[in-house]
Amino acid sequence: MQIASDAPATFRSSADRPGAMALLVTAVREALSRQRLIRYLVRAEIKKKGTDTVLGNVWWVLDPLVSLSVYVFVFGTVFARNQQDFAVFLIAAMIPFKWFTGTLSDAVSSVTANGSLIKQIQFPKIVLPLVVNGSGLMNLLVGFGVLLGFVIVLYPAHLSTMLLLFPVIAIIQGVMMLGFSFFLAAATVFYRDVGIVIGHLLRLLFYVAPILWSFEAAGGRGSLIRNAVGDEFFTILRYNPVAVLLETFRTITYGVPLPDGGWRHATLADLEWVGLGAVLLMSIAILVLGTIFFKRLEPQFAKVL
Amino acid sequence: MSQGITDAPSAPLVDPDTDQSITDVEPVAIARPIDETAPPALAVRELGVQYNLRFGKNTRMRTSFRNALRREQSDRTFWALRNATFTVHRGESVGVIGPNGAGKSTLLLVLAGIITPSEGVVEVNGHISTLLSLQAGFDQDLSGLDNIALAGALMGIPHDTMQRITPDVIEFADLGKFIDAPLKTYSSGMRARLGFSIATAVDPDILLLDEVLQTGDEVFREKSRQRIISVLQAAKAVVLVTHDMTWVTEFCTRALLIEDGRVALDGAPEEVVRVHREHSQARRAARREAIDRMRRGEIAIDAADLRRLEEPKGRGSRRSAE
Repeated sequence: MQIASDAPATFRSSADRPGAMALLVTAVREALSRQRLIRYLVRAEIKKKGTDTVLGNVWWVLDPLVSLSVYVFVFGTVFARNQQDFAVFLIAAMIPFKWFTGTLSDAVSSVTANGSLIKQIQFPKIVLPLVVNGSGLMNLLVGFGVLLGFVIVLYPAHLSTMLLLFPVIAIIQGVMMLGFSFFLAAATVFYRDVGIVIGHLLRLLFYVAPILWSFEAAGGRGSLIRNAVGDEFFTILRYNPVAVLLETFRTITYGVPLPDGGWRHATLADLEWVGLGAVLLMSIAILVLGTIFFKRLEPQFAKVL
Repeated sequence: MSQGITDAPSAPLVDPDTDQSITDVEPVAIARPIDETAPPALAVRELGVQYNLRFGKNTRMRTSFRNALRREQSDRTFWALRNATFTVHRGESVGVIGPNGAGKSTLLLVLAGIITPSEGVVEVNGHISTLLSLQAGFDQDLSGLDNIALAGALMGIPHDTMQRITPDVIEFADLGKFIDAPLKTYSSGMRARLGFSIATAVDPDILLLDEVLQTGDEVFREKSRQRIISVLQAAKAVVLVTHDMTWVTEFCTRALLIEDGRVALDGAPEEVVRVHREHSQARRAARREAIDRMRRGEIAIDAADLRRLEEPKGRGSRRSAE
């Protein structure tokens, strides 16, 4: 009796180095053939989060709620913002941003944290960053649920059909995050510094990306920043791909913030289609290069860890 | 279980490198249908594995740059294994023996596909089951039951198959109520039992085992003996790294002696074990002699000599000794 398996029954390993295209094809094939493993690991990840806590899986909903409340209190009340419905303004960008930072900081250690696994059994290491992105996606779904409930219950005026675009924008961001994840996960194996640097970069991003402020509105905060950093640097901030995504998320959730602190419902014409298209192309490029980078370094993982 | 093979003395024979008490046992005859015409389960040709000492577990930018600036290349790479050529057919069980740090574990890692060769080729025909360092376990926070499922998922075994064999695994591992407790609460013996149980339950074509048979109590050792025999009788290939010479002479059809990253000898288990013992005794004598001369002050030693005299304790310590 032979037990069937997703893993290949025969393999040949040699010192030959496959080309970029071959690496890409292998990566896609591995990811597709090991979907069960990925699903299993994502479930295990979720299960672990619930253990050793009194409230268990309630934390999935409570966690984003509490952290959003803190941000709304600190930046909406303590630093008194005159933006109307600031809570919606903030969490519309905050939820996708949390998704971005949470997933990337987990992705950094996705390979190194599984060193003992990698040294015990042969499996496609590409599943590790994929798992992190998978459970990150679960976090986003919960976050989106919280966002939706929040808007429906407290700020129903902001609801619009534009919110249907949420998955589309999320896919673009997801592709970008996956690409970054491959780069970071593989690089950290060789240089542990990557994790430290990324931690600081993500914190910096929180302030230079339009989360607490927006480019166009909020009582001229955008122009305050422009004056502070200068026109050239402001342009860089403006074309930061994460900024483009976060602004879009805000536009479809909150609406368009107006300079006087008010807001209006957005239309399709308010979206930066060219910017989004460019970000999508860039994200695909990052994903392709990240995959090749990861696969190129993968044979060294077991030796270095 | 009092008949036949189980009558073999259970007192383990120990590696001559590490201990002295050695007794001989009657080898047990096992039906081993070896098919020499079929493609071999494992074919290894001119295999070499090179470690680069530049990158260690905690490589930082600074050390890496510093090393990049240095020229002496030879200091920073070493061959854990070189020019290894051999084949393993179905029905064969090959014992891999040799002194600590000779490259035995590295060999198993390459056969398992966990590390890729730096030169040469490894061809594997058939599903491999490898739970190499069982002490580590898979996921410390998950229960034993979840770890069984995780192992199945990692090996790519379908869910329903895993569900079918899980009761067997649990029964064989004999963990009682611990099966639902997180792995971090397990004793090392329990981990070893669970690991061995999983590795053999999945019905692999090729079973790779590293030092697993030393752990566990007498009862479990006996059970694992039975398991391995049934694996062998099912005409599967087994490669096992061990310091327990009983296993080699009792259950192996062949043995490889690995010394200094090379296959020093490939042949009948009794012969290979004999040569290994001779070499070990010679090494020990040389070491004792050197230490005695040092004590008498006949030779001056420096730190480097001392390091050389100390027995290498496996790849890990050698790498960090840089």
